[in-house]
Amino acid sequence: MKPKIAFFDFASCEGCQLQVVNLEAEMLDVIGAVDIVQFREAMTEKSDDYAIAFVEGSITREKDIPRLKKIREQAAILVALGACACIGGVNCLKNFQPLEDVRKYVYGDKADWYETFAARPIDAVVPVDYYIHGCPIHKDEFVKVTKALLLGKKPEIPTYPVCVECKRTGNVCVFELGLTCLGPITRAGCGAWCPTYRDNCAGCRGLVPDPNTNAEKEVLKKYGLTVEQAISQFRIFLGYSEVAK
Amino acid sequence: MTFRTIEKKNFPPFIEKLMPAMEVVGVREKVEGKYEFALLESPSQLCLDYDVTLLSPKKYFLPPRETLLKFRTGKTVSCEAVLASKPLAIIGVHPYDLKAIAQLDRIFADANSDEHYRKKRQDAVIIGSDIRRSSPYAFCKSMNSATVQEGFDLFLTDIGEGYVVAVGTQKGQDLLAQWATSRAATKEEVAKRSEIQEKIPYLFSLNTLTTPYDELPRLLTDHAASKLFDELAEKCFSCGSCNLVCPTCYCFDVQDEMALNLSEGERFRLWDGCLLEGFAQVATGENFREDRAERIRHRIFRKGKYIYEKYGEHGCVGCGRCASACLPDIANPVEIFNRLKEGK
Ligand code: SF4
Ligand code: SF4
Ligand code: SF4
Ligand code: SF4
Ligand code: SF4
Repeated sequence: MKPKIAFFDFASCEGCQLQVVNLEAEMLDVIGAVDIVQFREAMTEKSDDYAIAFVEGSITREKDIPRLKKIREQAAILVALGACACIGGVNCLKNFQPLEDVRKYVYGDKADWYETFAARPIDAVVPVDYYIHGCPIHKDEFVKVTKALLLGKKPEIPTYPVCVECKRTGNVCVFELGLTCLGPITRAGCGAWCPTYRDNCAGCRGLVPDPNTNAEKEVLKKYGLTVEQAISQFRIFLGYSEVAK
Repeated sequence: MTFRTIEKKNFPPFIEKLMPAMEVVGVREKVEGKYEFALLESPSQLCLDYDVTLLSPKKYFLPPRETLLKFRTGKTVSCEAVLASKPLAIIGVHPYDLKAIAQLDRIFADANSDEHYRKKRQDAVIIGSDIRRSSPYAFCKSMNSATVQEGFDLFLTDIGEGYVVAVGTQKGQDLLAQWATSRAATKEEVAKRSEIQEKIPYLFSLNTLTTPYDELPRLLTDHAASKLFDELAEKCFSCGSCNLVCPTCYCFDVQDEMALNLSEGERFRLWDGCLLEGFAQVATGENFREDRAERIRHRIFRKGKYIYEKYGEHGCVGCGRCASACLPDIANPVEIFNRLKEGK
């Protein structure tokens, strides 16, 4: 029997689910291998009988918690999908401002209608079995993790930094092009997506397991950033982690 | 060694003629002042007046990612080696990279006979060229690799009016005979070539080892417990850049990947490096070099001792790529060796 899988979203732009919808070439194979029972972004049918849950988005409200817990109870395997779910992502930018203010400038005079609390990744609420990193996720990595799940095998997700993939690609380091970059402390797996197009890595795949953040601050300083500017770079995606504090 | 001369006007046509017959790779400017080995679309893209390339030509023999075999599982299990290779000419390889390739040949072709490497190597013809500008970090004089007399099929020295071509192998000679308009070099031209080459090591006078080449292993043995490795470790990202850009680093990781139908898949290898945290980790999760300092020491010992003890030459050719790739500026072997010597 094909495993039943379902997709869910919390605070997010849904770009990661869109990446799944965009699978094109592999989509038929995916559909052949699994049974998608719930996927708001792609279909209207909906069932709560699933074994694998892909959860996108970060947790930003009290009422997200019971919903996420229910998903966790049902799913044998829970996969965090994308930077918002894996590390809190850009949503955590609001954690550095008074929540009252944030609500006001987002919702204006309707601010009171919407509750909110500090944004957090889903593993701050429930245990997560696998992570598909990135903002947005990489289609190939979604397929790779799905295959590993089907085989009952641990997916090979790099523990080394983005610089490795820059080197394998033969890129000119963007520091040499006048930019600064979080690649040396960011988990690889995207194929050095941004530096390959001569942009800096902003850390969307989260930190490597043993990041040398002091060295990163030193290097950023050497390339002309102040400590505050360095911290604000960290906050784009890594706001939930210690390095951004 | 025989020497031929190709007049300057006959050089672009030579490359042009090669192009339909094989893949022709040469040094090209990637962004201002940064060079790479890449496919040539026209002879005018070739630059022989470069300091150093981002990656060495190693990438053509040991690609960053390479499929080794394809397999099928299920009732009948089968697997088939994938040996992808095409005739290839690489133009403009500097002496230090020629030395590095010769070292890889010993390791991959002579000692272990890695078919994937060997096939690609056999299908390639290597055309070297002199260093005309030093890169800021290179110290190839100290590593005996500023000039070479072997390790190439052909080798170009620009003497102004033309190139004196040293013929290193039969393969080189055949290539020249088939595609180039050349003539025997005159005595004067060969003398001019020697004169040019004699000056090349002096390009590296500012970057030199304070320990003689053959004494590096002793130096390292004496300083195995140096605090310098801990000091460098404080700043190290474990990003492996120093390994991955190195022409003599050959480590790789092997992984299997299934297709979505879960009945077929492929085994591939990927560049790996001893500075990466997961490099020395084994199945139980045990890591033999868990500390950054241990990993840095291992790299330096590999560059200045282990390879020498096995092959009689160092695992570093002094290209300086590691030093320029290392953001915190701690990977430069000549600086590390010299600091150890000073006892700092
Ligand atoms: S990780 Fe990025 S792309 Fe994915 S949902 Fe969040 S904001 Fe959108
Ligand atoms: S561009 Fe960024 S990721 Fe790439 S090598 Fe430079 S610092 Fe590392
Ligand atoms: S380079 Fe950095 S920011 Fe860009 S996709 Fe990769 S991890 Fe994300
Ligand atoms: S260790 Fe550094 S200088 Fe030596 S060959 Fe490797 S990259 Fe070049
Ligand atoms: S390049 Fe520098 S920072 Fe990166 S692993 Fe090597 S020594 Fe460490």
